Amino acid sequence: MTVTSATSVSAAIRRSGGRGMALGAGLVVLALLPLAAGASPYLLGLLISALILSGLALSWALLGNLGGMVSFGHAAFFGVGSYASALLAAKLGVPVLLAIPLGGVIATLSSLAMLPALRLSGPYFALAILAYAQIFRILATELDWLTGGAAGLQRYPGLPTLFGINLADRAGSYVLVLACVALFALVYVVLRKSHIGTALRAISDSEDATRVVGVNATLLKSWMLFLSAFIAGVFGALNAHIIGFLEPDYAFSGIWSVMPIIAAVFGGYRSVLGPIFGAVVIYLFDQVIAKSLIPVGHQILLGILLAVMVLLAPNGLSGLVARIFSKTAEKHHAGA
Amino acid sequence: MLELDAVTVRFGGLTALANISFRIKAGEIVGLVGPNGAGKTTLFNSISGLVKARGRIAFDGKDVTGLPLHKRARAGIGRTFQIPQPMQHLSVRENLAVAQVFGAGRHDEARIDEILAVMELSHKAEADAATALALQELKRLEIAKALATEPKLLLLDEVLAGLESNAKKSFMVKLKELHKLFGLTIVIVEHDIETISGLCTRAVVLNFGQLIADGTPTEVFNNPAVVESYTGTAHA
Amino acid sequence: MTELILQALFSGVLIGGVYALVALGLALAFGAMRIINLAHGELVLLAAYMAYLVESRTGLDPYFAIPLALVVVGAASWALFLLVDKIQDHRELNSLILTFAIGIILTNAILLIFASDMRTTSSPALQDAVSLGDVFAMRGEIIAFVLSVVLMGVLWWWLKSSWYGRAVRAVSSNRNAARLMGINPARIETVSFLVAGALAAFAGVALYTMSVVQPATGHALTVKAFIITVLAGVGSIPGVFLGAVLLGVTEALTVTLASSALQELAGMVLFLLVLFLLPNGLFGARARRG
Ligand SMILES: Nc1ncnc2c1ncn2[C@@H]1O[C@H](COP(=O)(O)OP(=O)(O)O)[C@@H](O)[C@H]1O
Ligand SMILES: [Mg+2]
Repeated sequence: MTVTSATSVSAAIRRSGGRGMALGAGLVVLALLPLAAGASPYLLGLLISALILSGLALSWALLGNLGGMVSFGHAAFFGVGSYASALLAAKLGVPVLLAIPLGGVIATLSSLAMLPALRLSGPYFALAILAYAQIFRILATELDWLTGGAAGLQRYPGLPTLFGINLADRAGSYVLVLACVALFALVYVVLRKSHIGTALRAISDSEDATRVVGVNATLLKSWMLFLSAFIAGVFGALNAHIIGFLEPDYAFSGIWSVMPIIAAVFGGYRSVLGPIFGAVVIYLFDQVIAKSLIPVGHQILLGILLAVMVLLAPNGLSGLVARIFSKTAEKHHAGA
Repeated sequence: MLELDAVTVRFGGLTALANISFRIKAGEIVGLVGPNGAGKTTLFNSISGLVKARGRIAFDGKDVTGLPLHKRARAGIGRTFQIPQPMQHLSVRENLAVAQVFGAGRHDEARIDEILAVMELSHKAEADAATALALQELKRLEIAKALATEPKLLLLDEVLAGLESNAKKSFMVKLKELHKLFGLTIVIVEHDIETISGLCTRAVVLNFGQLIADGTPTEVFNNPAVVESYTGTAHA
Repeated sequence: MTELILQALFSGVLIGGVYALVALGLALAFGAMRIINLAHGELVLLAAYMAYLVESRTGLDPYFAIPLALVVVGAASWALFLLVDKIQDHRELNSLILTFAIGIILTNAILLIFASDMRTTSSPALQDAVSLGDVFAMRGEIIAFVLSVVLMGVLWWWLKSSWYGRAVRAVSSNRNAARLMGINPARIETVSFLVAGALAAFAGVALYTMSVVQPATGHALTVKAFIITVLAGVGSIPGVFLGAVLLGVTEALTVTLASSALQELAGMVLFLLVLFLLPNGLFGARARRG
């Protein structure tokens, strides 16, 4: 890429419409990925799981970036969404494509129980959510009349066929999950540009100054919690119908709390594309490279990656990219 | 417009405000005077809802004592911070937009431009509020933010401090202009006796959390207790 | 039934001693630097595995591992401090993520080196049952409890009377004021992390002699320590001790009266109850609301 085109790209990104363009371009790349991957079922399966994680990471980053809250317990929403949707479809015969958003709604309802935690400052909130995630996992194990207990759930409907596309096959699932990621990314972008997004940007570092001009900080933050829980619940539900079995230790696994953090921090949790791509890279790295290097304990590599990113590039890959672009642009200006 | 009844604030063992009662009528410009640590900022904090106070605070005929901060702002209480607190990560214009949308409940760019022009911040409208403004600009932004919420009552905390005397005079003119233009009631914390006399119809004096005088500036500054409270501190 | 309950109370109190050491380490680092060290439980775990290493390699009593544990865990705690100290922006948030990452690294390193099996002491002397009236305990449990209480006493005395202790308290109540008093916060922070590491070293070895450990134990310990500081309100050693005993007893009673699957749930529920109903902790120490 020449300096001039790099400059024009960075200028485009900085223009207000640039974010949307970058987002669109990013999603086109994701849509084309399976072609590059030769659409082998194995790779497609990996990419579906990676995108599920993208959605979860997006939901985590939304809470972190707009809500100013670090969650160590997104597994709670993910697990509630999975179980709720699977149970609605299996026990009440709710159509799967309706059960999935309802899974999100029920995850949101479960986040109501966390509202009191919003008044807590940083670390206390983070750990309170962790406690919730543990409680939900134990409840899912103990309420076996509803959830099947530790043995889990196996018989519940998978994804249906819609407009002639079989969503249950790999390509169909991929398209559906990608569409959901795109939809929520769009919601995120619109929200961030709104006045609510602007106010939220200010709240984390100037709470008093923001409240004193009439912003109900607690209310806005609780909306972010609800939205984040909804998104996580939807992806939990999607995942449940794609893989076809659930057990508490899987659906509420700490993995669903840890991976979105690593993915979002790696990609840059203050951007929209960062968590999405961060998740794809991190997931593929973990499954394809780390697991083959270190079968047991491969998460050590993720831990190292996370630590290195926080220390050296706290704004993640997207921050690095932005910095490179703006440096190139500066050089260009200086030369001109 | 504003009624305080036996307002008391304690920080641990320290009584920052003791039984403060007074009323302010609509349209007044009141000077709030007192040595450092007298409790002036704390009084603003309790009126705007930033600290919890005992006693009763009524605004526009309604008891606001139990209301949270943001509701008081929406009810029409605007304030500035002695140490400017711009909303970080936002531009100057975004600062005003947030204040307007949430504090006044509407979005009106033309009015934001008007406020920017009055507060002489138009040239910095797109600048990052937290990093790109000089101290005096930050102070003007404090007032601009408060104005954007379309307040009825404006609490100004030492907005004139640090200005040299000519700048101070023109700023006083500006405040009078704002008072008329926006139909405001103003309470202003200020140390300078001349400024208070030139600007205010009334002055209220605090010392050690107590209200020690209330009257016209001339009356108040000739009050022996007030004179003593000033000469008794390093301030004078 | 009453005997079972008495026994549960007794066991809960004994494990509470070690929990208190873990929690005090966490509280010390929090007091000095205002950060929650999410890898603190893993530091304790590291010490426990040092005890396992010494016992399994040399056949010595695990308490002989204390010097090794002090060196290894002290160094790890210090390294952790140096890393956390490098964080510039969004300190609170980024330090949480960083220490969380270090916790993942330590847990998995231990998993890689020592495998996922549960470990506990094989020393018959420590596992001997001792009866005190109607209740029983392993000798290891009693030694660990006594050791914990003694260490708490030492820490209490040290914080009360040494220059460092006063400085630590000054720094944790007000960094800038402390700086004005000529105290160098960086030095205090270093000492706090070293002492936190030392406490973790003792706690880990003690834990190994009275209970089972496995790689996942570290994370659970961090959470327990955090729960205890919430119960106690960060502040006083007796408060932390009472909070720790309360947690230990709650867990033991849950296991006795309900099921061991609910043990963790009990702690969490206790935690949330106190967090929401008693925002200043059981003993009303210090506000933590943002
Ligand atoms: N948040 C607070 N916590 C503890 N003490 C405070 C707090 N705010 C103000 N004070 C104390 O209350 C007294 C009054 O302070 P303040 O209202 O700022 O005085 P002024 O604005 O008149 O200079 C001072 O002694 C100050 O130290
Ligand atoms: Mg003041």
